[in-house]
Amino acid sequence: MTTKGYRHMNRRMLVLSLAALPLLPVTVRASNTRGPHGGHRTDIAGGHGELVAEGGELRLYLSDNAYRARSAEGASAQAVVLAAGKQTTVALAPAGAEMLRGQGDFTAAPGMRVVVSLTLPGQRPAQARFTPMDQN
Amino acid sequence: MLIRILLLVMLLAAPGVRPAFSHEGHSDGDALAPPAAAAPRAEAHSDLFEIVAVVGPDRRLWLYLDRHATSEPIDGATVQVTVDGEDIGTATRASEAVYVLTNPALDRSGQRNLVFTITAGEDMDLLPATLEIPAAAAALTAAPAAQDLLSTALREPYMWAAGLLLLLLGMAIGRAAAPRPLPPLVVVEPPAAGTRPHALPSGAPIAERVAAAPAVLALAAILLVPVISRAQPLDAPRRQPDGSIFMPKPSQRLLGLRTGPAELGEASVTIRLTGQVVADPNASGRVQASEAGRIEPAEGGFPALGQRVARGEVLGFVVPIMAAQDRVGVRASIAELDALIVIGEARVRRLTALTGTVAAREISDARAELEGLRQRRAANLPAVTGREPIVAPSAGLISVIRVAAGQVIQAQEPLFDIVDPGRLWVEAIAFDPAAVAEVSAASAVTASGQALRLGFVGRGMTLRQQGLPLHFRIDAGAPGLAVGQPVTVLVETPRRTAGIVLPAEAVVRNPEGGQVVYEMPSAERFLPRPVRVQPLDGQRVLVTAGLDRGARVVTSGAGLIAQVR
Repeated sequence: MTTKGYRHMNRRMLVLSLAALPLLPVTVRASNTRGPHGGHRTDIAGGHGELVAEGGELRLYLSDNAYRARSAEGASAQAVVLAAGKQTTVALAPAGAEMLRGQGDFTAAPGMRVVVSLTLPGQRPAQARFTPMDQN
Repeated sequence: MLIRILLLVMLLAAPGVRPAFSHEGHSDGDALAPPAAAAPRAEAHSDLFEIVAVVGPDRRLWLYLDRHATSEPIDGATVQVTVDGEDIGTATRASEAVYVLTNPALDRSGQRNLVFTITAGEDMDLLPATLEIPAAAAALTAAPAAQDLLSTALREPYMWAAGLLLLLLGMAIGRAAAPRPLPPLVVVEPPAAGTRPHALPSGAPIAERVAAAPAVLALAAILLVPVISRAQPLDAPRRQPDGSIFMPKPSQRLLGLRTGPAELGEASVTIRLTGQVVADPNASGRVQASEAGRIEPAEGGFPALGQRVARGEVLGFVVPIMAAQDRVGVRASIAELDALIVIGEARVRRLTALTGTVAAREISDARAELEGLRQRRAANLPAVTGREPIVAPSAGLISVIRVAAGQVIQAQEPLFDIVDPGRLWVEAIAFDPAAVAEVSAASAVTASGQALRLGFVGRGMTLRQQGLPLHFRIDAGAPGLAVGQPVTVLVETPRRTAGIVLPAEAVVRNPEGGQVVYEMPSAERFLPRPVRVQPLDGQRVLVTAGLDRGARVVTSGAGLIAQVR
């Protein structure tokens, strides 16, 4: 194949991959990292959320896309916790400038999964999946 | 004209009835007739599971559960669903690894946040997903795109026939509905009434045609009712405009699609050679006659093709044929020897009687002479009366028979070939002797795809027709092989390259002839990835470029995805 042909193909591939980008599920693009509070940080509601689990307590720290703290005022969240084969629901309420907190009937252990449904004021509820006790 | 257009529109919509015809053994809303790309769907995955949720035309939630890495369906799992924080229960198993759920919460339109709690054996996981439920039920069953209709129609000639029938029916109704000239209430000039045509000319006022429209509309409504109420959105896998391929989960299940992660690995550089199966020279033999003669079968007849023979077994006899002159000479010498033997015997008898007076040396000389004469006679005799047995030089199966009873053969003519099927070799020809200077391992594939494990025996030092012959031993017993069968030999060299090791099945040809593998970035979408591929052995290939590590790659069924248009 000629150089021109390669360039043509590359451009087509680029266009193709760009066109396919919105089709990827959100979880693929999500930045799955360990946050500054030692929890699991991932994308939620147009920003980031970091979930820390300790004993029977969940703390959700909010930040925006540039990792600056985001106000938790007026926000509410509900977490579905799956730990040790048991599922519980924990309600989280603002408990600090950028933090929501809630307690429930579970014990944080490696392998636990949490799905948080976060409602920020004036926004639709947004969901994200956290594995706060696993090394990411 | 308006009537015909209406009828045409109606007929175009008619293929929507298709499921009612083609899926007549299935119940309405069967899992195997799931929604199309347009149907609202959501998907989620973790490192364990992958779930696809589809709202069917019946407003039920269909769930397809698979292992994420391998795309293996998970049957017998428990899937509990939460919609906007409200637990709506556990999905029931509809068919293998398909679960279904009915709940009024799913009838509310808008964005719904779903949480799936999945329990499959020891594994448990929580998966969130967002499902957009459209406002109206009609939106779910919107008429499929025109190209789909066309392809459906092309696929199903019965639909064409039915359509044609309906068109004719519509034309008949149109004719019937056309206003006819009424007898004039007032008799006017006869020529005016006489020239009035049976049907209205096309330039006639529209108002009279509009009067016929309600009848046509009623017919359209009757025909469209089943389309609206029973139609299931077409669920055809299709190639998207961006080049990716949409394949819904049920189609994936039908194709037995499996995936695997693209892991970086290292493999030896292999060289592909052509070769053929040959017989191991130590475990095969060729039976030839040592002299010209006539063939006679052994006691039990000639061995049959494929018969196992032992080493030293008599396969037949060669009766030498001699010219008359030669035969006379031999007979004469035998007669002469007979006379000499008689004389010799008499002499030995006489001398033995005189033992003591005659020297012992004389007696032993006479005996030796007699013995020599007898041996000469014995050696001459088979030339006129005897036959030479043909014995098997090695054990094995008779693979070639070139004899018939009574056949006269020349000396050195091959009569039988014997091959031991457990000990076959492969001879490969290398046109670049330097490339195969070192051989670390080898394998071979037959034309039918049978893989053979080979052990290197040796290489020649002389080029034969520009190629260097290499010999390999077939290590594992391979049934069904024949001497002379062509094989592709893959020779591993000690040089190594890095890449992604995939099963050979994962690499397919795209319509342009390039090699591609299909990546699966999400649950129902496949992206063709042009790759550079090196064969490793019969079953595996090494992808050296074009694929990122960690990608989920289709390992089984890729050829079927490539067929999607």
